[in-house]
Amino acid sequence: MAISRRDVILGSAGALGAATFSFPKPAIAQTEPIKIGCLAAMTGPSSAPTIGFNRGVYFAADAINAAGGVKGRKLEIVMRDTQGDPTKAVNATQELISQAKVHGIWGPLNSGEALATTPIMARAKIPNIHPCVVETLIDTTKFPNAFRMAPSNSQWDDAVRNYCLNILKVKKIAVIGDTTGYGVTAVGASVAAFKKDGADVVYQANIDATQPDMTPDLLRAKNAGAEVIVVWSVTTGMEARMFNTRAAMNWDVAFVGHPSLSSGEIAGLVEKPANWEKVYAIGYKSVSYDGAGKLPAKTQDLVDRLAKAKVAMNDTLLWWIAGGIDAIELFAKGVETSGSTEGPGIVAYLNSLSKYPGYFGDYTFNPTQHNGYPTDEIVMSQASTARNGTFALAPGYT
Amino acid sequence: MLASILASGLAAGAIYALVGVTYNTMFSTSRVMSFTAGQLAMLGGVFGSMFTLKLGMPIVVGLLLTLIGCAIIGIITEFVAVRPVLKSLDQHLYVLSTLALALMIQQVAAIKWGTEPQPFPRLIGLGSGVFDEKFWLPVVACAITILGLEYLYRRTLVGRAFVAIAEDNFAARALGLPERNLRVASYALAGVVGGIAGFSGGELLLAFFANGALLNFYGFVPVALGGLGNNRGAVVGGLALGLFQQAANFLVGGIFSSVAVFALFIVVLLAAPQGLFGASTARRV
Repeated sequence: MAISRRDVILGSAGALGAATFSFPKPAIAQTEPIKIGCLAAMTGPSSAPTIGFNRGVYFAADAINAAGGVKGRKLEIVMRDTQGDPTKAVNATQELISQAKVHGIWGPLNSGEALATTPIMARAKIPNIHPCVVETLIDTTKFPNAFRMAPSNSQWDDAVRNYCLNILKVKKIAVIGDTTGYGVTAVGASVAAFKKDGADVVYQANIDATQPDMTPDLLRAKNAGAEVIVVWSVTTGMEARMFNTRAAMNWDVAFVGHPSLSSGEIAGLVEKPANWEKVYAIGYKSVSYDGAGKLPAKTQDLVDRLAKAKVAMNDTLLWWIAGGIDAIELFAKGVETSGSTEGPGIVAYLNSLSKYPGYFGDYTFNPTQHNGYPTDEIVMSQASTARNGTFALAPGYT
Repeated sequence: MLASILASGLAAGAIYALVGVTYNTMFSTSRVMSFTAGQLAMLGGVFGSMFTLKLGMPIVVGLLLTLIGCAIIGIITEFVAVRPVLKSLDQHLYVLSTLALALMIQQVAAIKWGTEPQPFPRLIGLGSGVFDEKFWLPVVACAITILGLEYLYRRTLVGRAFVAIAEDNFAARALGLPERNLRVASYALAGVVGGIAGFSGGELLLAFFANGALLNFYGFVPVALGGLGNNRGAVVGGLALGLFQQAANFLVGGIFSSVAVFALFIVVLLAAPQGLFGASTARRV
């Protein structure tokens, strides 16, 4: 049979077209590890949360791998130390995506770094789960691949307001923050929200965290008739000074606010332990114990497993460990359900979650809402009652 | 309210005054405004807490080791940040070199000590309320330091040599005074004064790495108000600053009190550029 020029051209075009179809990946690809990149400030001044989160990350990865992995594929944690520095976090993100070729990224673990890295991950369409609180980090239009598995600032604010107005049933509020960008923004938002809910904000102030004497501000708040003092600061020195000053003034007003009110460092800064009582810090139902000293059953089970695996809990917060476990398990479930390590499949899985039962909380995501943590699981804890990273519920909860 | 203003105002003012004296001590023999002064005071608190609380040493031993540690940092300042730029004082390179060293000290303190304030021990255990030792200890320490410096400068040979160097560097060298060694000694002395500021104010300011920047700033104000190189002016300026700042805290609140302090500072400098106690000096042209 004679082969015409047309036949050659048609044949070549067909072969070329066929070549563009993807061939089934060889079986070896399905045994390669599932790589999860971690952006963690392991050293430097903001390393405390990382220590807790990492214990959860490795605990979860080891447990999954010991059980055979995800459809036979092992999890590989690719850890990068960002030192809390946004520049280093950006470099690490690019390296994880282009060199290490990870399938998803957990972190960064603080908002400053996340503000720098989230757009990069969005451009690369890499699935990202993080616990950072700044509102703008979640935007399903700009960052459709980014998911928050911890509360946002406004959720904390809602929980504090709910506790003051509906549980303590007080109406005259003093709101105090430090002079950092966070403190000023948080005080402004808190005051506006309290006023919107009909509360009387009798005093508001931003105090320099190094101010040695807190008497002036507490005296003004007392004279204004404050029934509760809401605190938005991460500075434990300033907080301890306020507790000491309250005691010196013989004032029994309650402090309610930021989780740092329960920071272990305050124990050494208060003049006597009693000064730290009647202080209620943001906490979480899942990691709080009740009046009988009991944790929720699921959390107790986790604590037992962690203790059996010799994971230290006494120098960190349990929610950090639980959050690290949840993040890794979410990635693993995403690969298992979608049957692939491709980003779109994992993102689609995360978008389908409704009340997914994690250890830290029940997460719900959908294509237009990537704030996954439920506000009603945020509670107030008695700040001075730390026990293995958990706290006693504040008065008023059952 | 008045008692509270006086107690905390005088305490903070005494600490600022001591930092001002630290600036002056370094300036007198080198003509350099070393911006490590506040960091030396910060280290006084950090070393004090470390030796006494973390390492469990007795208070007196902790104080001695703190002062030795701060003196060593003072000497390092002279070698690293001052000596290399002395030949080009007119280019004011010392601003850059001493600020760089101050930042290094602060960052190392943050990394090694931590970014959260740490407790400082009760030193004597005397007093409560506005008579608590945390308020009067810095004032007593300031008074003893000033008296000690006056004795040193007026009654001892080494002190007179310091004064001679400060008065006329070239003439002192021509007389055979070991100018370089005296300068190193004055930086060690400045370290000790800074250490006393931090140690005596530890109960008030806590052992906190961020105190360095604060004290650099507020310690400079009494120097400018009192006149460069004038210790008595620094003490009066420091106490006035502390009292005014605390009064502003009570009257207008935290953020605005800083504004009030610096508004007053600018007004005073506009009215008396050489400082309230400084004398304008003639310059040979």
